[in-house]
Amino acid sequence: MLTWIMENMATIIISAVLIFAVAAVIASMVRSKRKGKSSCGCGCAGCAMNGACHLAEPETLRK
Amino acid sequence: MLTIIRHIGLAKTNAYSKEGDTIADLCNLISERPDAILNIIDGTNLERNLYLTTQLTELGIPVAVAINMMDVVEKNGDRINTEELSRALGCKIIEISALKGNGIMEAAEAAIDAAKNGKTVPMHTFSGTVEHALAHIEEAAVHGLPEEQQRWYAIKLFERDDKVLEQLNLSGTVLSHIETDIKAAEEEMDDDAESIITNERYIYIGSIIKGCLKKKSAGKLTNSDKIDKIVTNRFLGLPIFAVIMFLVYYISMVTVGSAATDWANDGLFGDGFHLLGIGSEDYEAADDETLEVTVETATLADYENALAVVEQYGDEPDPAAYGIWVPGIPVLVGNGLEAAGAADWLAGLINDGIVAGVGAVWGFVPQMLVLFLLLAFLEACGYMARIAFVLDRIFRKFGLSGKSFIPMLIGTGCGIPGIMASRTIENERDRRMTIMTTTFIPCGAKVPFISMVAGAIFGGSAWVATSAYFVGMAAIIISGIMLKKTKMFSGDPAPFVMELPAYHMPTAGNVLRSMWERGWSFIKKAGTIILLSTIVIWFTTYFGFTSDGFRMLAEEEMDQSLLAAVGGAIAWIFIPLGWGNWQAAVASITGLVAKENIVGTMGILYPGGWPEIAANFSMAAGYSFLVFNLLCAPCFAAIGAIKREMNNAKWTWFAIGYQCGLAYAAALMVNQIGSAFTGNLNVIGLLAAIVILGGMIYMLFRPYKEATKLTTNMKLKTAR
Repeated sequence: MLTWIMENMATIIISAVLIFAVAAVIASMVRSKRKGKSSCGCGCAGCAMNGACHLAEPETLRK
Repeated sequence: MLTIIRHIGLAKTNAYSKEGDTIADLCNLISERPDAILNIIDGTNLERNLYLTTQLTELGIPVAVAINMMDVVEKNGDRINTEELSRALGCKIIEISALKGNGIMEAAEAAIDAAKNGKTVPMHTFSGTVEHALAHIEEAAVHGLPEEQQRWYAIKLFERDDKVLEQLNLSGTVLSHIETDIKAAEEEMDDDAESIITNERYIYIGSIIKGCLKKKSAGKLTNSDKIDKIVTNRFLGLPIFAVIMFLVYYISMVTVGSAATDWANDGLFGDGFHLLGIGSEDYEAADDETLEVTVETATLADYENALAVVEQYGDEPDPAAYGIWVPGIPVLVGNGLEAAGAADWLAGLINDGIVAGVGAVWGFVPQMLVLFLLLAFLEACGYMARIAFVLDRIFRKFGLSGKSFIPMLIGTGCGIPGIMASRTIENERDRRMTIMTTTFIPCGAKVPFISMVAGAIFGGSAWVATSAYFVGMAAIIISGIMLKKTKMFSGDPAPFVMELPAYHMPTAGNVLRSMWERGWSFIKKAGTIILLSTIVIWFTTYFGFTSDGFRMLAEEEMDQSLLAAVGGAIAWIFIPLGWGNWQAAVASITGLVAKENIVGTMGILYPGGWPEIAANFSMAAGYSFLVFNLLCAPCFAAIGAIKREMNNAKWTWFAIGYQCGLAYAAALMVNQIGSAFTGNLNVIGLLAAIVILGGMIYMLFRPYKEATKLTTNMKLKTAR
């Protein structure tokens, strides 16, 4: 078993990194979905009139 | 803590709309009772913008007014007497320029002052008859409400506003009492109550404008008017729009964008590139030399010598031997994985799946940035609004509400906010038709595959990309005419008034920020949903059942993959469209997840890149592929938006069915008629195309259901 792990160490580490990255992407998409953002990632940035209006709504400022 | 709630589009509704949204927003304002309202208005079109201001001052909430675009007002040589205007409106007025960043803090401070120091009392009064009726209504119906709110409710009751009537829930006796007063006023003034209030407001605004606004070029045409005389001309408007869109696509896809995308696709996500081009010329010269083929009669010894030389130096020069060579990402990743000793399947997943798929999408980032930059400039300078005006005139003739164009304009960025923008259309039939047709306009996500088809199959022709916009518009117009002639959608389009902002030179910061926000959104999306899709596509492409059982496949065994089995089962559907191979079928299906996926999937399924794609598509089939994927059902996120806005499963399925049906019919006609012209005639296919074309022509020219002609009822108002 140990020999197999040693022989495939690179594959195991790279696979783990890849799985972590995929999990992070899924978590980020789930978070966006819960916040009501579309999975297409558009929002204001996807709007053709984005240049004219770009402020968040509602917006909370501290003064 | 200061909380700012932005009511976007409150001022965009107008006196000639049903004002449903304005009233809903004003009802929200009066019930939410914010500490103050900061009303930002356009100084270049003061008369129309003050209409909302007069309504806001009636709410009994402190109001501060910020007159925006003062830089343009001053440039035009106009002068606004803000002190006099402030007195006439009963609230503080600040001059600002959002573009230059002038007066912003003063406006915020004015709003805070208004919140701290009391209330705004409406200074305007209506004519005696109206005031008499309002006094009766206040006494009879809204006497129990807070004093500062009574006037606004009385005016809304006078206008017989449904939302306010519902909110107040008045008894039948009170309603019949106030109805007598309203009818008396209507008879005396010979108009309906809503129009009376509208006219009275404009009369008041006109009276205060006289004393507060001095126009340098009163009665003369401004520079914007002069430009509009040409740009929005009845006959020149559309050709000018076509030329501008062609230039936008020519610059972004053929000239600047193409050079950058070639570098990204062939260099950064390809074999590599010469840093700053150092060594490129020498390499190309050496490469041309090796490509020279000469036919010579030689002895066997000469031939063996030549073979030895080829073996020693290779049959083509090594680019790394010239200048400073930077290897591409796939090369670096491949070398890294090999050096680390990663398993073949993992190296394949990362290089042939993720890097090839995501790289194929990211390769279009330079083109997208150039395109977004040019579109941001057109929006910021005011031309986009003119496009809306030019096309609105055409759309209305074909039965689509003028308001339908706004969702479509927004849909050029992303279909989802476009679909959601259809909420401003009160007429349910028009709204449903707009929802169904909005996604025909190419959104940002469709640009990479349009660019891929144009680049791989049509040699980078700018016309192909530009034509995609006109195909989208033609689909909307044809759908508008055909659907309006069915019972489900018949009826006159709703009136629509549009405000055209003055032309102005946008700041570099605004244009660059808009470009970056959209570009970043595109980059981020390729790193999330597209990345996940490429992993699934790679696994299903490189694994399958063979005679040896389930195993990983080599590149030449892709036809036995799981994806090939799924794609092969549906590919026959697309045979009449000219691309009945499993790769194209699968790419179209994965496009439902996100339209960029079409490019990512093609990147994985055609490892040979654009030359391999070109070899698998004829020109007719390529354009048919473009038309189908342009018009068919949008991505799942947009389908979700359609479902939410339709609020009805039957209508949602009808919309998706109509979009896919129209896409199929249009793509079939493109392929069959195109093939007939290019010498690949298929008699049955051509007959089917002619039958479909005939059916569409019949639908276009058959009479309307409810009337013999389509009439529009549009009130025009010229701002002075």
